[in-house]
Amino acid sequence: MKTSATDLDLAIQVDEAARVAHALKLRRDRRERNGRILKHVFLIGVSCVMLYPLFWLLASSFKPENEIFGSLTLWPSEFRFDNYTEGWNALPKSFTVFYVNSAIVTGLSVIGNLVSCSFAAYAFARLQFTGRSFFFALMMMTLMIPYHVVLIPQYVQFLRLGWVDTYLPLVVPRFLASDAFFIFLMVQFFRQLPRELDEAAMIDGCSPFKIYWAIILPLSLPAMGTAAIFSLIWVWEDFLAPLIYLNDIKSYTVPLALRLFLDQEGKSAYGQMFAMSVLSLVPVVIFFVLFQKMIVRGIATSGMK
Amino acid sequence: MTKLTRRSMLGAMGAAAAASAFSAIPAWAADRSIRHFWWGNPERDKRTFAVIDVFQKANPAIEVSGETIGWGDYWTKMATQTAGRNMADLVQMDYRFLFEYVRRGALLPLDEHIGKSLMIADFDQGPLEGGKVDGKLYALNIGSNSQVMVHNTRVFQEAGIDADLINWTWDDFAKACETITAKTNGAVKGSDDLSLMIETFESWVRQNGREFYDADGKVTATVDDVASYWQFWADLREKGAVRDADKTVILDPPIAESGIAVGDTAMSHYWSNQLVGIQAVAKDKIGAAMVPHKAGGKPGQFIKPSMFMSLSRDAKDTDAAMAYMNAWVNDPETTAILGLERGIPCSPKVRAALAPNLTEVEKMSVDYFEAIQSRVGPLPLPAPKGAGEVRDAFMRVGTDVVLGNAQAADAATAFIEEAQSIVERAQ
Amino acid sequence: MRRFFARNAPAYVFLLPWLIGFFLLALGPILASLYLSFTRYDMVNVPEWVGLDNYVYMFTRDRRFWKALDVTFTYVALAVPARLIMALGVAMLLDKGLRTIGLYRAIFYLPSLLGASIAIAILWRQLFAADGVVNQIMATFGIQGASWITNPNTSLYTLVILAMWQFGSPMLIFLAGLRGIPRDLYEAAEIDGTPRWRQFTRITLPLLAVIFFNLVLQTIDAFKTFSSAFIISNGTGAPADSLLFYTVYLFNEAFKFFRMGYASALAWVLLIIIAVFTAVAFFTSKYWVHYENERD
Repeated sequence: MKTSATDLDLAIQVDEAARVAHALKLRRDRRERNGRILKHVFLIGVSCVMLYPLFWLLASSFKPENEIFGSLTLWPSEFRFDNYTEGWNALPKSFTVFYVNSAIVTGLSVIGNLVSCSFAAYAFARLQFTGRSFFFALMMMTLMIPYHVVLIPQYVQFLRLGWVDTYLPLVVPRFLASDAFFIFLMVQFFRQLPRELDEAAMIDGCSPFKIYWAIILPLSLPAMGTAAIFSLIWVWEDFLAPLIYLNDIKSYTVPLALRLFLDQEGKSAYGQMFAMSVLSLVPVVIFFVLFQKMIVRGIATSGMK
Repeated sequence: MTKLTRRSMLGAMGAAAAASAFSAIPAWAADRSIRHFWWGNPERDKRTFAVIDVFQKANPAIEVSGETIGWGDYWTKMATQTAGRNMADLVQMDYRFLFEYVRRGALLPLDEHIGKSLMIADFDQGPLEGGKVDGKLYALNIGSNSQVMVHNTRVFQEAGIDADLINWTWDDFAKACETITAKTNGAVKGSDDLSLMIETFESWVRQNGREFYDADGKVTATVDDVASYWQFWADLREKGAVRDADKTVILDPPIAESGIAVGDTAMSHYWSNQLVGIQAVAKDKIGAAMVPHKAGGKPGQFIKPSMFMSLSRDAKDTDAAMAYMNAWVNDPETTAILGLERGIPCSPKVRAALAPNLTEVEKMSVDYFEAIQSRVGPLPLPAPKGAGEVRDAFMRVGTDVVLGNAQAADAATAFIEEAQSIVERAQ
Repeated sequence: MRRFFARNAPAYVFLLPWLIGFFLLALGPILASLYLSFTRYDMVNVPEWVGLDNYVYMFTRDRRFWKALDVTFTYVALAVPARLIMALGVAMLLDKGLRTIGLYRAIFYLPSLLGASIAIAILWRQLFAADGVVNQIMATFGIQGASWITNPNTSLYTLVILAMWQFGSPMLIFLAGLRGIPRDLYEAAEIDGTPRWRQFTRITLPLLAVIFFNLVLQTIDAFKTFSSAFIISNGTGAPADSLLFYTVYLFNEAFKFFRMGYASALAWVLLIIIAVFTAVAFFTSKYWVHYENERD
């Protein structure tokens, strides 16, 4: 008699427990879902605020010239595509030329940055050598000095080398790890990788070069991806160095060409400049979308082998 | 090592794409080359490159490379090239910077070429004077302009303003501002607030019988000149007849943000060669008025070169450069292409040749130019080193007055003191 | 001697590109700028030695120098934390595995792509004008706003907001930092440990390293802010020097007023200021930043 009562009680208890657990799970799921919805709402709201200025830029590129400053409405009174069609050829050389130039300079620069900066970062982060702190401090110092005061001495130096009016002053420094930002970025990432890997490899008889190539690099895809993206965007948008070193308009890069549109004193062409600015963003956005996955992809365990 | 050889070091891909962009004239046929550096905009650049083509066709032995960038970056690059002794042979110069470069020895005098390779004998002598420093001609006037009060003809008509826009006084001007503001119920103010425009202030000083700087480069404008000027605009501000202080304190705004372009005032102060650019962004038809005169005062306005062409000290092939410069101001085909884009040409022959083909706005600027001839004064003396900084100080101190943070009289004293110390330090 | 080579050779080989670049391209100009800071140099003529005159003038008679420092320090104090907080907050939100994370990431990074372009400057002036969109929005809440960008007291804040709007770069680095830690590797590398402790070391500590990196770089960057301030004020630091960032002041001294010697002195003073901040950050980092398995 007793056993059946306790069996029943047990069954009821289990049933209760299961129902309570189920109810709790439902509530937790709902909270999670609400949380997620809230998160989405918040993110969408922030996105709208973030994107408003870009919408304005886009809209302005379709407006006739005298509407850009007069009215604040986003929507143009009439959609005009001639800012784009005319803007492409408004300058003495067509934008095709400028895009090709930018592509050359940017492509070479990104490669140069990735290679030379990762070399230097590996040395700073993983290798012991005399003078390491000293050189590290020197490297950081190059980050801190305002460019405008080294501009002229550097110009004179390149002038003596005969490199002015070529792409050499723009590209060669990138192959010589001139941008300390990327060295520092990669140093920070490398330092977070466990040293046991290095040690294990060394015990196996790997040289530092092999460690660099086979272990550190593959594990640093997020850092490399980040460096590639920043490098590309900054070189693409750089105009001060091209301004100083390029004389021939045929060799101008896109940001430099954009500055031909504006003349404080005379007739400016804002609509066309906006249109071309929008277009100059396109390759950058594409590159960004392609490369951002590299940052996020989890580290494949194949790196350990 | 020619430029082309250096470029070909950069990879076939770039060269292949760029090859299509190279000009059709085989550059290695020329054994002389000169560089011309100017600031521009798409319109001016197109015309200038066309002129370069014309010149090269006529002079196949000379290769001209044109270098250009917008005004904002022009001077940075110019300074860098000057420091490196790598200036272009021919550089475009502006009145504001001319003296800085001449007094530091960056430009060569042109006097020895006049009559031989540079034919300017029949040019208007007055406008040419602007390029003279210490008696030598350092810069050739390639276009003259003068101050102009650009006004909105539609608003003026609707408000019933019938003042004589060439001979009017500051009182007439103030009255017009008030009328316009009243008639439009404040939607359109009479004029931009010119408190921070040192160019207008310079006219004010001359109307009082003084120059801003004297021959030794000292500041001779008085505290009273400054105070009365700032007070004039303060009074108009109080009546609400000029543009809001908010918009005024944005310094050196682009044309498109001026009152007349945006449409919230009926008058803005500019230079006559900017009329075409202004009409392009203004919704209504614009007209040209003179800077108001002081009743019983001296003439304040003057005709000045809007821009010059100069020979830099780094010029190697002076003969080729002078040939180019001469063609620039004399050759019929060249001057036809250039038109009035840089200002009114000095040569009467060129002006006559251009007359039949002018657009409406261009014709207005030429008519305006003729009309003011009898009411302008001589060019002011060349500014000393540091003039650019004085200009900045004027705008900075004036901002406090515009925002109501300082009285005109006190600010005026502060400004004159600062101006004098700036000029002293710069010598 | 041989041991010296054997021990240091690999490192120097890796460092070679940077060494060549530094000694050939960077060192000369840096030393030249130091030399120029003791001269009067108008770029047209040869520099003229004046000893410490530039520095003396800077610290005793130059009012605008102090104004520039004031503006720049205020900006750094406001913009760097604001930017980092936004970047970290959004990065942590996005890190939790939302499906549409890629889209959001791109959206939040887009403003940074525009950099300091003229288009943005024009837009910013319009947005924060007396009749601009910001005031229009505030009016719907009943708040009457004045012109933000032309009021010397508030113009700097519009630039801080611009910095906040462009938080994409530090955000990306935070994301990379959060994702880049090879967690399975740590599991393998650690012998044993309690779960809670491991979570802390796995997530929070590496994060501190990324925070440190971002903090240092954003601070250096903020001190050197140039383009946005220059373009928005049309190169003048207006209104009333409220946007006279240090580098804007430096640029004008050099290229507008032909005082490259003085500008070089200004640059070196800035460099020392930044170096002090950076050094302090590095020294204190020993106490709060841990690199996993670091043994120096």
